[in-house]
Amino acid sequence: MLPPLVLFAFFIWAPLIQNLAYSFFSIKRFECQDFIWFENYAYVFSDPAFKSALINTFVYAFWSIVIGFLLPLFLGLVLSEVIHFRPGFRCMLYLPSIISGVAVMLMWTQILDGSSGSLLNGLLGLFGVEPVQVLMDKNLVIPVIVLVMTWRGAGATVLIYLSALQTVDNSLYEVARLDGANLLQRLFHVTLPAIKPTIKLLFILQIISVFQVFYEPMVMTAGGPDNASISLMYLCYKYTFLDNNPGAGAACGVILAVIIVTLSVIYFKLSKREESV
Amino acid sequence: MKKILAIILSVITLASALCLLVACGGSNDGKIEISIGFWPENSQTSDVQMYNEWKEKFEADYPQYRIVASPYTYSPETVSAKGNVGKLPTIFQTYFTEPDMLIGNEYIRPITKQLNALGWLDKMDDNMREQLTRNGEIYGVPRDGYGMGLFINLEMMYDIGAIGQNDDGTYQLYDEDGKPLYPTTFDEIENLSRLVCEFYEEAYGIIILSATKQGGWQLCNIGWNFGAGDLQTQQSGTWSSNLADPGMVRALEWVQKMSQEGLCYPSASLTYNDWPAKIGSKQVMMAFVGNDALSQPITSYGFNKDNFAFVPMPTGDGTSRYALFGGTPYVFAENATDEQVEGALLFLKYIGRSPETDEISVSALKKGFEVAESKDMPILPTIKAWKDSEYLTLANNLENEHINVNYAYMKDFFDTIYDYRRKEEPNYCQDMYGLLDNAIQNVLSDKSGTANPTALLQTANLNFQNQFLKRLNK
Repeated sequence: MLPPLVLFAFFIWAPLIQNLAYSFFSIKRFECQDFIWFENYAYVFSDPAFKSALINTFVYAFWSIVIGFLLPLFLGLVLSEVIHFRPGFRCMLYLPSIISGVAVMLMWTQILDGSSGSLLNGLLGLFGVEPVQVLMDKNLVIPVIVLVMTWRGAGATVLIYLSALQTVDNSLYEVARLDGANLLQRLFHVTLPAIKPTIKLLFILQIISVFQVFYEPMVMTAGGPDNASISLMYLCYKYTFLDNNPGAGAACGVILAVIIVTLSVIYFKLSKREESV
Repeated sequence: MKKILAIILSVITLASALCLLVACGGSNDGKIEISIGFWPENSQTSDVQMYNEWKEKFEADYPQYRIVASPYTYSPETVSAKGNVGKLPTIFQTYFTEPDMLIGNEYIRPITKQLNALGWLDKMDDNMREQLTRNGEIYGVPRDGYGMGLFINLEMMYDIGAIGQNDDGTYQLYDEDGKPLYPTTFDEIENLSRLVCEFYEEAYGIIILSATKQGGWQLCNIGWNFGAGDLQTQQSGTWSSNLADPGMVRALEWVQKMSQEGLCYPSASLTYNDWPAKIGSKQVMMAFVGNDALSQPITSYGFNKDNFAFVPMPTGDGTSRYALFGGTPYVFAENATDEQVEGALLFLKYIGRSPETDEISVSALKKGFEVAESKDMPILPTIKAWKDSEYLTLANNLENEHINVNYAYMKDFFDTIYDYRRKEEPNYCQDMYGLLDNAIQNVLSDKSGTANPTALLQTANLNFQNQFLKRLNK
């Protein structure tokens, strides 16, 4: 019992408590100097970049549900029906996940570059379409980043869905067929309810991970244009390491943690209520 | 099972303790260690060999010292991690914009006493000395300076018909009356950019930076040249921000025009790391850069060293012409002892970075040029860190013997830089640049052309005043 407790205390609890303490102090050389009450929080809330980061983080969450959550589920369902060359498809889907995340983001930044010589604009040019600058468009930049994140991460999620789908009892499908259920009815009344625990788990993991979006906007857009893609996590990093203001970084981290914990609690409460009904 | 676990844990603990002992245990031969942060990386074999030769010479002359390689490329993101645990090298390189942050966090120490003892204080370039001085103490030794100017791909300029070529293949950068054919105003940059876009299918006139605080860095210089005054002023002890100065507004309007007409590279996230690749691959013809970075497209992207010009920053209003002036100083870790500082300063002589003109310094300077030539690197003029006439004569003569680019293409810049140079704003400079980045990104990402430069700069101004200058006015 003691070793895990010591490890937890050292690697998890101590940094958490230290971060909380930092958020109430002025910091020099990562050492607390003066207790300044809520000054770091006031600084963060008064920073226009925080408002952008907060809104953007929810926008990331929205698009990650629309693109990053539904697409792997859809791919998992399709792949489970594939008979020929299934291992090949699995391998192809998983391949982007083994590439370094930063390398993936750099590659897509080049592909999506706004110049007329980029791969995207070169292809569009073949069809007579004017060059587009998706990473410079404030409305498009987040969905595009989420799309790239999904391209990289979907493979791993699809494999989890696939393994869940393989556990669905075949007799349920047979009974449904005997009852005259069509494909969609089998999907909504057999498949999805059967893998519901997996869907719920991946949903909450998706939300938690998207709230920690960090290196993707940092590499692809540096949080721009005009903070249109900056995330709370990137803002924490920016405060701490670029602006050399660890107090504000800690305060931002606490705010982010509060949001994630609140959302998780709400989600589990709703799930519990649903289960009891 | 418990026994096995206990044995494994004991072995791990013992190994960790041994590692700690090895890591913490210093030398016990009584020598003073000096860790050198600007030591070249292992991959730069010829440079490492050169440094090893200098180290041997130094240690032979000063046996009480031991030089230790500790390569560290300075960046604002990594300095705090090293500084907070006291692991910064004894001496390392930084930028002129950094001393306030480094001193405020107690990462570096003053070296006035040691400089005075060596007689180097009065030999230091006045402008650079001022930039390294806080509260009467000097916190570093300048390595060299840079001034911002305009990098031009002459091959492209020739292709679009803006300049001619001589029989020997060199480019005609001046007309028959000696008037420059390179752009001397921002309107001329615009006109040339239009020619570039018309001539090439996939090239743009100029690259305008807009991210990681480097957009703001360049916009300041453009703004000054459109007539902007000081962007931070102090009256009766109160600091005020003037980011919405009419000169700055005109500068941002120029950026907006270039973007709207598709004359600059279309991206709102370009940094200083991007220009060498864009220039090297002929995607753009011009870039605003510092003279200390001129070799980058040549060494990293195979750009022909005879095909570029580096000219003074253009003027926007016909009269204002400034070159933002910064540079690279050597600074000393806060935990460095007086003896370590003295040794590190002496070592600078052995690598040719001191104002001394003795045999050791001359041989180090010569060695530096030899190694650069052996690597076929471009040897370019530099802005010297020392004003001592004897040193200047020696350094300039040696440099002139080895320069292997066409100096005629950059003569105007180096002839005028001391008249036009202007140092960066005094407070929270990097944070100010960051807020200006947002204004530039807004303008560059606005397809409709409705972005309002005045309003954007007023927002940046308000945020800078409230978030940063307010702290000084408490």
